[in-house]
Amino acid sequence: MLPTGVQSLKYTQESAVLRTTRSRAWLVVLACALVGYPAVAGPYMLGVFSHMFITLMAVYGLYVTVGMAGQINVAQSAFVGVGAFAAAKLSGYGLPFFIVIPLAALMAGLTSILFALPAARVKGFYLALTTLAAQVVFPIIILALPMEWLGGLVGMPVEPIRFGTLTLGAPIHFYYFTLALAALLTVAAFNLGRSRFGRAMLAVRDNDVVAEVMGVPVFRIKVMSFFVGSLFAGVAGACTAYFLQFVTVSSFTLFASVWYLGMLIVGGAHSPLGAILGVVFITLLQETLHDVANTLMQSGASGGLLFALTSIVLGGCILIALIFEPRGLAHRWAVLRTTFQLWPFPRN
Amino acid sequence: MTALVQLLIEGVMVGLVYGLVAISFVVIYRASRIVNLAQGEVLVFGALVLWTFTLGLTQFGYGLPLLASLVATLAFCVLFGLALERLVFRPLISQPAFAIFMASIALLILLRGLAQLGWTAATRPFPVILPEGGFMVGPFLINTRLFIGGAFTLVVAFGLHAFFTRTRQGLRLAAVAESHDIALSLGVSVRWAIAVAWILGTVVATCAAVVLLSGRIVSLDVAQIGFKALPVALLGGLESIRGAPLAGILIGLGEVLAMAYLDPLTNGAASGVLPYLVMIVVLLIRPQGLFGWKKIERL
Repeated sequence: MLPTGVQSLKYTQESAVLRTTRSRAWLVVLACALVGYPAVAGPYMLGVFSHMFITLMAVYGLYVTVGMAGQINVAQSAFVGVGAFAAAKLSGYGLPFFIVIPLAALMAGLTSILFALPAARVKGFYLALTTLAAQVVFPIIILALPMEWLGGLVGMPVEPIRFGTLTLGAPIHFYYFTLALAALLTVAAFNLGRSRFGRAMLAVRDNDVVAEVMGVPVFRIKVMSFFVGSLFAGVAGACTAYFLQFVTVSSFTLFASVWYLGMLIVGGAHSPLGAILGVVFITLLQETLHDVANTLMQSGASGGLLFALTSIVLGGCILIALIFEPRGLAHRWAVLRTTFQLWPFPRN
Repeated sequence: MTALVQLLIEGVMVGLVYGLVAISFVVIYRASRIVNLAQGEVLVFGALVLWTFTLGLTQFGYGLPLLASLVATLAFCVLFGLALERLVFRPLISQPAFAIFMASIALLILLRGLAQLGWTAATRPFPVILPEGGFMVGPFLINTRLFIGGAFTLVVAFGLHAFFTRTRQGLRLAAVAESHDIALSLGVSVRWAIAVAWILGTVVATCAAVVLLSGRIVSLDVAQIGFKALPVALLGGLESIRGAPLAGILIGLGEVLAMAYLDPLTNGAASGVLPYLVMIVVLLIRPQGLFGWKKIERL
């Protein structure tokens, strides 16, 4: 809800993402805080933040496929993996990162098209099964390919990024690198909904029969939604590769895909803000659990405890979100804001 | 030639086990319109509970007779089904299929976490419930455990098929599988249907665990079988209980043949990829599977 007195004289003003001076000011504050954060944070927290930014990129991709176009995708982590392996292979040829990352994104996108093609015949849940197939088949194929190609069971080292003479290696370098890319993709994710393609995806999500009647090429939009969503995944994959300096199949499991989906659902699938809130919330939860599990392990608990606890908490969060607030944290946030703005009057 | 026939026999045997797991998928879908991706986890959960009531209790010195532990496991399955219905799926009745699909995914990680918390990730021996060893038919060796399991699969398939098509209760469940809203408006209790579906699904999954694991090792990784059975359920048709064993045999045969003839050429990938390849082809050519209900629009 907008404050009183905000009037739009042109359509461009009406459709802008940030419509008030105040919201722009808050964005500047947020940007300054994120840029200045390394001044006060240690290397561990910088690593956590870099990882969070990378996760955010992948979840933006899911937001496009699942949130905007309404197609279920349980293979996001496999597409991230395709991006990571492509980046590792290409960086091995000595290509600079600004060529590697777009190519990795493209590879992930093209792979996803392969699994989106059954959209011509089936819908919804059945389409989700083909992405499930993609996720399950991905490690089998990587492991079966000859060792020299993609490293097989061992994995592949990644050439670090070089800016002239500077080689990216310290946590602070990766923090700024992933922050810049995440910022770029945030702009893309927020603006996609305003484009012709974005509106077509929303139409397909809301009612694909009506969309077809209105002249939206439904099949093409569905396939394109997978393609675009996987472009985001590919960028996230390339970043993962550079960040970890090593890629193995075991990092890209079905569980990671479920994590991405869980973040989107907890945050709210219908807005990019939901993706941000979900990623931040779940990362926060994960770090808290990490501490709890560490304390428990010092007092003699078993090693698998962390995994068990995080699984239970994430599963519980998704179920709670689905049952009690399917619109996610983004909706809760909107409600909170409206209540605050209207106070002392009740919200309808 | 003998080797080939032996191979085919093994394929059929393994396929029938897949079929049994697939039946547990189909039963849940057929009675409640829920595709449960967590079926592999449910199977592991059943196996771990059965382990607890047999070998687990023996370790603590409270050994139960086998029959009593089977009854206790059965009682647990019933409670588990009722709890899932009440806590997870009752609030989601007639929600969009997306929500129910996601709930089953959430259940997958929740159950895996609970299994790891309760039983840790350690591997443990599973009690010997079905006889071990094998017998010869002519020149061919047949595994007794899998043979009994296969026969059991067929009995379960035809028994459940009769239940779903011949009895009043079963036909009510079919209405729920068609649409929650229509079933509700006709006075069919969707809650009851979901509870029955989950109890049946859990019991069948636990039976599959017995066939699969009797006298072998149980660990959390066994849950993989759930994703192997999904293509089987889809090939047979999600609504067809009798289709599941047949599709299982087809997939099992394909897998064994691929393992024997294609794996050496493809570094072991062919048999792993084959079920999913079949799944994608089925979705492209005949989305309802071999014996599923043909609907104009899915979901």
